[in-house]
Amino acid sequence: MHPPSTLEVGSQIIPLMATLMLVVQLLLIAQRMLLTSIRLFAIQSLLLAGIAAVVAYYYNAGHVYVVAVLTLVGKVIFLPWLLTRLVHRIQIHQDTEPLLNAPTSMLICAALTLLGYSVTRPFTSLEKLGNNTLAIALALLLTGFFLMINRRKALTQVLALLTVENGVMLAAVALTTYGMPLVVELGIFFDVLVAVMVLGILVYRIRENFDSMDTGKLDQLKG
Amino acid sequence: MLLTIALVAYVAGMAGALLTQRAERVANALGFGLAALGGACGVVFSVVSLAAGQAMTSAPVTLWSGPIPAVRLVVEVDALSCFFVLIVSLVGLAISIFSFGYARTYYGRKNVGVLAGVYNALLLVTTLVFIAGNLWMFLIAWELMALLAYAMVSFEHEDREARQAGVLYFIMSHLDAACILLGFLVLAQAAGDFSFASLHGIGAKLSPHQRDAAFLLFLCGFGIKAGVVPLHIWLPVAHPVAPSNISALMSGVFIKTGIYGLVRVCFEFLGPPPMWWGATMLAAGTVSAVLGVLYALMEHDLKRLLAYHSIENIGIILMGLGAALMFLHTGHEVLASLALIAGLYHTINHAVFKALLFLGAGAVLHATHTRNMEEMGGLAKRMRWTSLFFLVGAVAISALPPLNGFVSEWLTYQSLLQGFGTTTSLVRLMFPLGGAMLALTGALAAACFVKAFGITFLAQPRSDHARNAHEASLPMLVGQGVLAAACVFLGLFPTVFLKLLDPVTQQLAGHQLSQQLTLANGLVLAGATAQGGTVSTLGIMLMAVCLLPVPLALWAVFARRARTRIAPTWDCGQRGLTPQMEYTATGFSKPLRMIFKALFRPRREVQREYDFSPYFATTLRFESHMEEVFQTRIYRPVILGLFRLSRRLRALQAGSLQAYLIYVFITLVALLLFAL
Repeated sequence: MHPPSTLEVGSQIIPLMATLMLVVQLLLIAQRMLLTSIRLFAIQSLLLAGIAAVVAYYYNAGHVYVVAVLTLVGKVIFLPWLLTRLVHRIQIHQDTEPLLNAPTSMLICAALTLLGYSVTRPFTSLEKLGNNTLAIALALLLTGFFLMINRRKALTQVLALLTVENGVMLAAVALTTYGMPLVVELGIFFDVLVAVMVLGILVYRIRENFDSMDTGKLDQLKG
Repeated sequence: MLLTIALVAYVAGMAGALLTQRAERVANALGFGLAALGGACGVVFSVVSLAAGQAMTSAPVTLWSGPIPAVRLVVEVDALSCFFVLIVSLVGLAISIFSFGYARTYYGRKNVGVLAGVYNALLLVTTLVFIAGNLWMFLIAWELMALLAYAMVSFEHEDREARQAGVLYFIMSHLDAACILLGFLVLAQAAGDFSFASLHGIGAKLSPHQRDAAFLLFLCGFGIKAGVVPLHIWLPVAHPVAPSNISALMSGVFIKTGIYGLVRVCFEFLGPPPMWWGATMLAAGTVSAVLGVLYALMEHDLKRLLAYHSIENIGIILMGLGAALMFLHTGHEVLASLALIAGLYHTINHAVFKALLFLGAGAVLHATHTRNMEEMGGLAKRMRWTSLFFLVGAVAISALPPLNGFVSEWLTYQSLLQGFGTTTSLVRLMFPLGGAMLALTGALAAACFVKAFGITFLAQPRSDHARNAHEASLPMLVGQGVLAAACVFLGLFPTVFLKLLDPVTQQLAGHQLSQQLTLANGLVLAGATAQGGTVSTLGIMLMAVCLLPVPLALWAVFARRARTRIAPTWDCGQRGLTPQMEYTATGFSKPLRMIFKALFRPRREVQREYDFSPYFATTLRFESHMEEVFQTRIYRPVILGLFRLSRRLRALQAGSLQAYLIYVFITLVALLLFAL
């Protein structure tokens, strides 16, 4: 084991990075340019990979390094590249006006973050990586969900789903010292990878058929 | 060991028949041959085990254990399982032999391999239901049974009626599975384990409300399977449209799984019963018995008539079980055992004679290509053996001595009549009332089978189909013969058979009654207690045999002197008797239709067109309907309400992705707020 002082450093770095993830999330909510959104997501994933690496380093949990590397390769490099290519292919660079404007969205996200904090208060004693990480994970999940509802473009919804998944991963890393079993983490990771690839194809198809990737138009499919 | 062979035979039969679908004859022989082998093994196994008595309770065997610790498939054979395995194997054996002949009628028309394969699978899962040792095994086998039976109900799916019946059966099966699952979850939650062993007497750990809720759930769930009024509506629809051998299996065995479940749950799991459980069961049984037979009387579709009689007989079985529960409450364990024996005896009896009657109906259907009794008639001359076997079944189901139906109904009477003295509360009135209703049921059943046998087999053929009917093939006759022999055996030698029930009552009620029920070296059946009556079916039989020469002797003495004259039957002045003059099924049941007008709500319309005078009608149109009270008064309002509700809920299906996401989101936030 490391001396207590280094552990303390770790337990301060992790909440800091987690908070940065939340900040990036809020930026994402206010952002309407698709390419910038993708980059913001990449930054958020990079922070997650960093947290995983820090956890692995301070707690000698070798397999969490695997999570960090996978996150780095998958979510920081591969998925942003895939989505950027998609944006170039479908030639739509900007999301339309969201359902709620930016200030209202911010207020709602603040409320959701508060909800996250109040719900997780009973569990903070379980956290070994400093307080608040679990609360931030839940806030990421809820705001990601809200983002998914608030936007109309399929591509932004995909990004929102990915941030929800980031929140789940953060919770997994935060709640337990060693993270979830590697098998579960790998499972989630590949699930998300496959989901995004399928969604990418779907986005392309929706664009082909409806001349738009506005999912609001899907209600034409209703019988 | 023998049981393993039986199960392996079913599996092999299923695989064999399905693999050889292309060669119908091979599939038929392989499928039904192996099923018969399995049935024979099952019969020997259960009779030997039950006769051996105490030592037979075997340790649970784990068939399969999953990756999650609690998920295991366990079988466990105790006395109760053995008894029901005996039923399914005996009936299965006879039906398999019958089917070997019956399936030939499907050659070139339907896939015999599938029929034989699914038939084997059905026998397999039904046996597994009876020997299941934990909830996983039980529920999986239970659901498989429902699914496979659905496939068989819709086997002749070219027929619209069969498809609709299949859907109704499917829906009702789901309902019953849902009730049973909920009930078992209540129990398993208290036990913390899914094995039957740990559920034993678990009712003691539950609060009274939980126990009552569990009881009602089980009564509904198993009641649907058994066809208890008013949950019976699927039964007269689904049983007739299946191929006749499957109808026999459904009416003979499947509905008994409901009885098995009720016995297993009420006598083993739920603990000491309050009075109203038994009273409810007795009342449900009485209502089912009377209504079942009344509706049967109004049918002129032979197989539907038999299906309604299944409802009646399930009612009689429930009367025995309900009385047993009431006696357990009042602490009269001997009487409880007697009532239980009555119920279980009637269970096997009904399995045997109802399967026999359905096989007979199958043979008739095969010969005449119609289920409508009004188009039959005169078959006794054309199908001698079938009509003889059908007569045996009819006498047995009408509870006439000396056949088996009489024995079990007599035992039911004994327990009901002795029940009056067991308690001083007003509930005791239910016993004599139940007895009276049972008597009414018996009389109406006899009337119904006078009609069924008379209209179908006697007099002159009413249609060309009936005129050209031919006797069934040998395997079909042998199959019926086995069951007819079982009817006679169970009727004439009840004291021999009762010994097999000893381990069962020992397990469920703590008493062995065969000694007390047997008098005079097994020649006489007694009513267990000092107040009970005695009866001897063997004696009745002997008397009948001895009395048979008396009329002959009288004839020999007196009729010799009488003058013999040969002349046509009186025919109202018409020239020659024609089938049109025969008594019809509808006509036969008219008096009863009028007596029970309030229930049947008959409606008739006569339209007459005439030129000069109403006495010389040119055309005459006659229509007669009966209101299906349960469908129109209970089920239809419920279904319409459900549709109305669904239409309202359709507003939720907006087609907008955002809306769907919001539903999920709001639920999530609400749950989080709820957790605060």
